[in-house]
Amino acid sequence: MLSEYLQNIVIIVVFAAVILAIAFDVIDMLLAALLGVSILIIFGIFQQRDILNVTRSAGGPLALLFGGMVVARVLVPTGIFEYVGSRYVLLTRGSGKRFLLSLFLLVGPLCAVLPNATTVILLAPIIIRVARTLQISFIGPMIITAIISNSAGLLTLVGDPATFLVGSAIGMTFLEYLQRVSLGGLLTVLVLIPLMPILMRDIWRKEVSLPPDLHPEPLLRPYLCLFALAILLLMVALFIAGEMLPSRIVPPAVAIIAASLGLLLVYEAKVDHVTDVLKDVDWRTLLFLITLFCLVEAFAKTGVIQNMSLYLHAWFGTQFLFVCLFILAFVGLCSSLLANIPVVAIMLLMIKGYLVSSQIVPETALAANFHDWPTTTLPIFIAMMFAGTLGGNATLIGASANVVAAGICATQGQTISFATFLRYGAPLMICQLLTAALYVLGLHFFLQ
Amino acid sequence: MPKERARLWLRWFIVVVGFGILQGLPGQGLAGHILDMVRANGKVRVGVSEGLTGFSWKDAQGQWQGLDIDLARAVAAAVLEDPNKTTFVEVTSTNRFPVLLAGKIDLLLRNTTYTFNREAAMGILYAGVYFHDGQGFMVPAASPIQHLGDLNGATICFAQRTTHERNLADLLTSRGWTYTPVPADDLKELQDLFFSGKAQVMTADRGQLAAIRAQAPGGPEAFRLLPEVISEEPLGAVVRAGDDAWFLIVRWVIFALIEAEERGITQANARTILTTSTNPADKRFLISDGLSEKTLNLKPGWVLRVIEAVGNYGEIYERHLGKDSPLKLERGPNRLSKNGGLLYSPPFR
Repeated sequence: MLSEYLQNIVIIVVFAAVILAIAFDVIDMLLAALLGVSILIIFGIFQQRDILNVTRSAGGPLALLFGGMVVARVLVPTGIFEYVGSRYVLLTRGSGKRFLLSLFLLVGPLCAVLPNATTVILLAPIIIRVARTLQISFIGPMIITAIISNSAGLLTLVGDPATFLVGSAIGMTFLEYLQRVSLGGLLTVLVLIPLMPILMRDIWRKEVSLPPDLHPEPLLRPYLCLFALAILLLMVALFIAGEMLPSRIVPPAVAIIAASLGLLLVYEAKVDHVTDVLKDVDWRTLLFLITLFCLVEAFAKTGVIQNMSLYLHAWFGTQFLFVCLFILAFVGLCSSLLANIPVVAIMLLMIKGYLVSSQIVPETALAANFHDWPTTTLPIFIAMMFAGTLGGNATLIGASANVVAAGICATQGQTISFATFLRYGAPLMICQLLTAALYVLGLHFFLQ
Repeated sequence: MPKERARLWLRWFIVVVGFGILQGLPGQGLAGHILDMVRANGKVRVGVSEGLTGFSWKDAQGQWQGLDIDLARAVAAAVLEDPNKTTFVEVTSTNRFPVLLAGKIDLLLRNTTYTFNREAAMGILYAGVYFHDGQGFMVPAASPIQHLGDLNGATICFAQRTTHERNLADLLTSRGWTYTPVPADDLKELQDLFFSGKAQVMTADRGQLAAIRAQAPGGPEAFRLLPEVISEEPLGAVVRAGDDAWFLIVRWVIFALIEAEERGITQANARTILTTSTNPADKRFLISDGLSEKTLNLKPGWVLRVIEAVGNYGEIYERHLGKDSPLKLERGPNRLSKNGGLLYSPPFR
């Protein structure tokens, strides 16, 4: 086994090589990630316990994606995507500007009740259809959809797993979140709107004349659609209330239940084969996400994030404002290249350690169930929520919704490269983090 | 990408993965990630105090000395077959747990009281108690404060965020006494506050107080310890939770030191006993049959290596804290149970 020092070097080199290979499109991105994981296995760096850790951290998100993909696929033969898509086209009146603005109205509320990537999966067929009718590329709108869905996760405590992780760790209630964080989350979504005419100039200016005889397309199988929507509604209801049931049903389990019911519907209605539905699941995207989680698990072992946090006290003392700004930048950067859940989980422990070292809280604050955080420390945790969630908007691999959006585009014959996503994502993320910084700044002085 | 190139990559990938699978992912057994990393690094990283005579301090040659240091060396002797394969990291009372939990050290040996709250809630485990201490008080020799009862209204300094702070507050509050608290961030500040006269009384573990007194400006005679002890402070060796093997090794190294004293096995006579003793239990103790060693992935003879490296518990104690040290601390509760103390080891069988 390599020493810790050598292990860290191998991990960082492999991680950087995979990112660069994906960024410069040297080889297929799934292959790059798989090769990276293979190298870590060969060097004995990635072990059984790491796989168990990945299973723990990635199982939930992957189950959510699988469930979303199956439910979306079950809806296809009902004709609902054509129906909603044609209505959406009529709503835009041929205007690209109206198309983009209505995306915000459509995605935001949906993300309040559905996981980000699931929202992207369900809306993608509609968005692609509208884009084609408006004679514009669907790449930009799909990227924006992923970014809005990630950002809208900040609207409520349960909107994003990373937000929920931080919130529950500090004992923040749903209502407290609405009072202290939701406004900031809304601002980070709204700040995207004035950037649309700049980043999506062609779409923003696009005006096409819709055929005068354009009418909403009828549903192909109304009854099937009714049952499928009932499954979707049950899924939404369980997402919201599942954890309050006597037998707790967590969101990933809800997704699996909904997928099973969807497959049962397909089987009974005999409109499709179960095998065909499963074939259409985007396994490639799921596999890519698993490998990304593996690489993140390995990267966490390097202690880079832990080291940074240990230096916080030496660098900033108890100047919380600077700590907040540092976290926004550092976690934002980490989260743009790593899955945000593990980043936030490590950072959370380290921030607790920083506050203990700074003697702001007693050592028992390191315990998972410590909730007696002084109000003045809240901006630090809130900065972490913003950075963890918004950081993922910068790159293709920053969030599962981004990977899913790219996967869907690929199945439709258009590739979202790392560079393409970065061109839209990076400026948007920077503007969002600046907005978040202003909000956290205000909150800091208000709570002082 | 051309199909040919893709196929080439795919072949290469299959070879790589196949090789990885053939090698097999490293198994778990009982060995865990901390023990694996200790072996891979070839050293045990130990968090110790910033300099406390008797426990962990640097001598005139810049070499670490003390009870904590010898315990760390004993662990290194058991695991890495070399007591010198240790790295000592100075930690304060406030950053010791964050540093341990961040994985920057493998073992914490820094006057850390074993408490329910710490072990139950913080993701750490106490591998064993190696020093039974109690919280006491130190005053200048000329101070009118003679007993605990004289502390009402006193100015008292203590290390912040320690069990001492809470014990002091609990004691004085329960008696309805007032006092002026003078908190210190670390050991150095604590001593500065006391020796500069900013506090009339210093409270800490008696072992710590004795160590500070031994190095006090004006000599040990210029200060005295009050006779009362207000708490029990079992000081333990702390590890991160999640690695049973590492936890067990640290725990049984401490037991081995105690058991060796119990059996009269010393640094000087260990090897002789191994070769000449007629007591098979002594031999089994020093070189066991290997089953447990295999389970913990320890090289046979680890107990012998430990005793030859640092001696038994009594020897370590006398060298650093007892009659052979400047502290001259009585063993008190740190005697073997057969001598009226609290120390004994579960059987090595």
